[in-house]
Amino acid sequence: MKKQIGDRQDACPTKMENFEQKISRQPLKKIPGEWRAEILAAAIGRGSRIESRRQESRWPSTFAARLSTIFWPHPKAWAALAAIWIFIFTLNFSTRDKSQNVAEKFSPPSPEVIVELKKQRQMFAELMGSNETRTADRQKIFFSRPQSERMEILTA
Amino acid sequence: MRRPIESESERLYDEHAQPLFAFLLNFTRDESDTRDLLQEIFVKLARDENLLRGVRDERAFLIRLAHNAAIDFLRRRGTRDKTKENFTAEKISLFASADDPDEKFFREELSIALGELPEEQRAIAHLKLWEGLTFAQLAAALDISPNTAASRYRYALDKLRARLRPLYEEIK
Repeated sequence: MKKQIGDRQDACPTKMENFEQKISRQPLKKIPGEWRAEILAAAIGRGSRIESRRQESRWPSTFAARLSTIFWPHPKAWAALAAIWIFIFTLNFSTRDKSQNVAEKFSPPSPEVIVELKKQRQMFAELMGSNETRTADRQKIFFSRPQSERMEILTA
Repeated sequence: MRRPIESESERLYDEHAQPLFAFLLNFTRDESDTRDLLQEIFVKLARDENLLRGVRDERAFLIRLAHNAAIDFLRRRGTRDKTKENFTAEKISLFASADDPDEKFFREELSIALGELPEEQRAIAHLKLWEGLTFAQLAAALDISPNTAASRYRYALDKLRARLRPLYEEIK
């Protein structure tokens, strides 16, 4: 079949050429001018959105790359610094826990204990300054009563 | 300041949109469908900046993209719209309007005759006649052998000649 076609072409090369030329000279319809802006807006809009999404997704890797450039020159020094910080944090957390435990262990004293402590303090105060306390007590007694009662005391 | 993606998309559009438009219009026979396919291609190009990296012949690559898009489109449209396709094939013209009535009629008939060709022959005829691609370039663009490209072209040309001979003889 191919041979037949080839033969036919060979038989009338000028006609074939003319026909082909005639067809190929027909000007094709032009693309509407307004499509350019619309298609490019759609393409660039979507393309840039995807590009920005890609950049967002790339962010952790770029951050890691930047970190590695910072740490790369002295990795041992940075590792030692990190170890020190970890030690400080551990120490800090362990001590904070202990103080909390101590605070939790000490419950507030009972009312009986408070009364007993007050009594002890009063007794101690009396022992240390007995005269002052007595005078003060006497004055208290004297002035706290009404004048009529005070007179009765004096006559008695 | 324009981003690289913008200038690259604009360059690709200015260099290749016209031939891709004509090629796609020959398949779809509908301007709005052609516009959708063209937009689909340029969105794809803008979305993947590496798509054209390492491509030696940009035009051939884009024709391949357009051909694949057109084939997919025709499959999607399917035989359900076959009647519509034939109707629009008669209505839409692939060519610029002519002042001379004989030329105008010839262009209309040529448009219809191209629409009657099988898709694979239509693609070859279009790219050979209006893009001036060689059989080797056609083969690369459409992923077929050069011999297949040559034989499809000859079949297509035979059909066009048979269909248009009376007109051609009249106006030549």
